[in-house]
Amino acid sequence: MTDNKSIFVIIPCYNEAKVIRNTVNEVLEKGYTVVIVDDCSKDHSRRQLSGLPVYYLHHRVNMGQGASLQTGIEFAKRKGAKYFVTFDADGQHDINDVPGMVAYLEKENADIVFGSRFLQGAKTNVSRSRSFALNLGRYISYLVSGIMLSDSFNGLRLFSKQTADKIKIRENRMVHPVEFLVLTAANKLKHVEYPVSIHYSDYSRAKGLKNSDGIKILFEMFLYKIFR
Amino acid sequence: MNITIIQIVLTVCIALIAVYMYVRLRSGLFDVILIVLFFTAGVFFVLFPETTNKIAHFVGVSKGANLLLYSAILFLFFLILKLYSRLRRVEEKFTELVRNKSIEEAEEFDKKN
Repeated sequence: MTDNKSIFVIIPCYNEAKVIRNTVNEVLEKGYTVVIVDDCSKDHSRRQLSGLPVYYLHHRVNMGQGASLQTGIEFAKRKGAKYFVTFDADGQHDINDVPGMVAYLEKENADIVFGSRFLQGAKTNVSRSRSFALNLGRYISYLVSGIMLSDSFNGLRLFSKQTADKIKIRENRMVHPVEFLVLTAANKLKHVEYPVSIHYSDYSRAKGLKNSDGIKILFEMFLYKIFR
Repeated sequence: MNITIIQIVLTVCIALIAVYMYVRLRSGLFDVILIVLFFTAGVFFVLFPETTNKIAHFVGVSKGANLLLYSAILFLFFLILKLYSRLRRVEEKFTELVRNKSIEEAEEFDKKN
């Protein structure tokens, strides 16, 4: 059995004052260790966390979600984390998926588990148009990384200490999901997928990526491919 | 030899760029040689544009101006790539700085409590 305290849930946060406390509370209830990486929020997200037993890291300059994740990963490594979970701040993920992911990782003896909203058993209210965009995205990710997932842009992942040692995200902004795949392939990590819920609220829809951001991501991916 | 207005303007511009490069950017011996070389070549081609035509004909381009355009595009593209990769390196270092700072602060805060 893994002690929940040794499971570090890394939550990048940028202007999430409205929801961050809720999200964090749900994670804390399960006994996981929470690492918040505040990417220079301008809405006093920090105040919302007062009194909560979390690690709080603050970027002095806004660097992007990929950079925040890497900061969280490095900090969790120093704190002796056994498992690393990447988790979105906007409340779209369900923390109840994590125990299943841990069990699955151990059972399959895998290095990294990718959450997927498109596998059987996953609950999601993803819209048609978003499904289409994500579907397109996974083919493009496949072209770049050589790994085909059913949901390559899912923010919920779980990986072991050994994997964390091998992964170093250098794409600061939005291409890091693809970089995760590229690094998984480059390090020959054993990867599996696990069905997870994604719940889009009005908040996460307004705050999150638009389908049109796909173009931007595509362009960054192109640059990433050239300059890696 | 008739000197046209454009030739004067271009010569002055090249001279200014050369001086600027020397004063603000580079002033090692090798750099000075390079700057003088570029300056001489630039001014030479401005004052005797027919020579570019000869070179162009030699490599199979119809006009000297065209040859100049092709090589300028290539050179600028190379420069953009160079600058972009430099930019990425700078950003990487900068990220590292911000990251380490945030980790240090969190560690300190953790120790205090």
